[in-house]
Amino acid sequence: MTVPAGYFFVLSLVLFVLGIVAFFVKRDLISQFMAIEVMLNSANLAFLALARQAHFADAQVVVFFIITVAAAEAAIGLAIVLVIFRRRKSIRTADLNSLKG
Amino acid sequence: MSAYAALVPLLIIVGGAIFILLLEAFWKPASKTPLAALALLAAAGCGAACARLWSRGASAFGGMLRLDDLALAFTVIFLVAVAFTILIALKYLPRQNADFGEFYGLLLLALSGLMVMVSSPNLIVVLLGLEILSVSSYALAGLKRDDDRATEAAIKYFLMGSFASAFLIFGLALLYGAARSLEMPAVAASFAGPSGDSLLGLAGLVLVIIGFGFKIALVPFHMWTPDVYQGAPTPVTAFFAVGPKAAGFAVLFKLVAPVGDQAFRSAKIQVVLGIVAGLTMLVASLTALRQKNIKRLLAYSGIANAGYLLVAVLSGDGVGLMFFLAVYLFMSFGAFGALIAMSRAGEEFHDLDDFAGIGAKYPWLGALFAVFLISLAGFPPLGGFLAKYYIFAAAVHKGLTPLVLIGLLASLISAYYYLRIVVFMYMREPVRNIELDLDVPAVYLVLFLCLYGVLQLGLFPGRILVFLKQALASLVL
Repeated sequence: MTVPAGYFFVLSLVLFVLGIVAFFVKRDLISQFMAIEVMLNSANLAFLALARQAHFADAQVVVFFIITVAAAEAAIGLAIVLVIFRRRKSIRTADLNSLKG
Repeated sequence: MSAYAALVPLLIIVGGAIFILLLEAFWKPASKTPLAALALLAAAGCGAACARLWSRGASAFGGMLRLDDLALAFTVIFLVAVAFTILIALKYLPRQNADFGEFYGLLLLALSGLMVMVSSPNLIVVLLGLEILSVSSYALAGLKRDDDRATEAAIKYFLMGSFASAFLIFGLALLYGAARSLEMPAVAASFAGPSGDSLLGLAGLVLVIIGFGFKIALVPFHMWTPDVYQGAPTPVTAFFAVGPKAAGFAVLFKLVAPVGDQAFRSAKIQVVLGIVAGLTMLVASLTALRQKNIKRLLAYSGIANAGYLLVAVLSGDGVGLMFFLAVYLFMSFGAFGALIAMSRAGEEFHDLDDFAGIGAKYPWLGALFAVFLISLAGFPPLGGFLAKYYIFAAAVHKGLTPLVLIGLLASLISAYYYLRIVVFMYMREPVRNIELDLDVPAVYLVLFLCLYGVLQLGLFPGRILVFLKQALASLVL
């Protein structure tokens, strides 16, 4: 039995919305970053679902590009979080308040 | 043969970047000036390679990378921006205890991302360019890693930037579902088909525009901009204000302009974008009124200018868009260059009060800064006036009169806060005694080059307009 491609697409939409909600609800940097990762991977799923619906294969290559992009972002993002934690001993967004105007 | 020709400009920049990073890691020079010289050399080499390709064009990877005249013209804007950034950073970085050689390598990598963004018709390659740019930008913003403000700017930039990227990528997935391809002409064609546009494609386009809206700081996606601009090192801020904005608008123009003239539902996107443009101009100008920090004020000024550029996109006025970007390059780097001169070892003076009496004490610096502010405010005979005039004239021609009225109102408001700085410099007594260290020949070089640019474009724009028209002729819609 095969699951119709449309189901995967709906799942990707749900994941994307959950990612957006989590980004705004969560109050620490790592969780917000994880929310963004969920959004990126939901986009991957959407690419695959839409490609399968159309019987096209090229979107599967695109997914590898996006995985690479997500990895590069994770590397730089975690490095910045680490620097912040070393200086302030906190990764809560409420403590990020030195820039105002 | 021609495939290699298309790769040469990028190879020079990326090769230079990697070479600089290796030198910094293994040679560890005490003074970073040789690395800066190397970066300038790479930019010059890339410029020469671009000049050879002008009006001939080249493409590589089966058309995935296409250096037409439009891409080359934008590349020239980026090269000038990067060269200016290097020159104003030369003394600034050691003075502010941020003398990392990686700065020059990361800057060249960001430049390569900008170049990829404007030279591909495929949206996935555009996305890759944008990510190369973004990842290097996050690191550049946090260059002063021992500084609370700089690291805070970096994390805000990173979170908002990757949040926006997620929107962009999901939007691309939807566009792919609708158009079965991510080549820009195919995407545009899918909106013009006999059955009209699909809801899927429309949603995709909206998400992509939201993603770019974050990156180029359109209201209501602009909240991160002032914080990042204020916290990042000033030369990096100057680069952010020009480079990513120019590339983002290049892509937006290629994407939105062909969709606009059709009578399908996608035409409604024009209306939404018109509202966004109006909000961007008004909100940014009004918020700038109460800024006391000049770096923050220039951030809001940058947002307002993004609004004018969006008007040019909406009226499909490519020449006006590129002319504004060229003028903005000189005005913006002039203003930020003057801001960088307002410093000495370990200290920067960016409060409005610090500018009181500067005009009398440091006449050259005061006069140059005043010229750039007046140009930003849009007074003739400087470049800023003509740039706004072309955009507004084209918009009226296209029937966007309400938008032009909002734009004029925003310009009027902006004239107040730009001129207030000039008034402070010349008509106020100094609040506190400020001693600047003005032994910065490279910054003065940038200031005078920008002065030349603003005057040349304001008084004799003919030659550059011919050049821009030729560049736009290569755009196949």
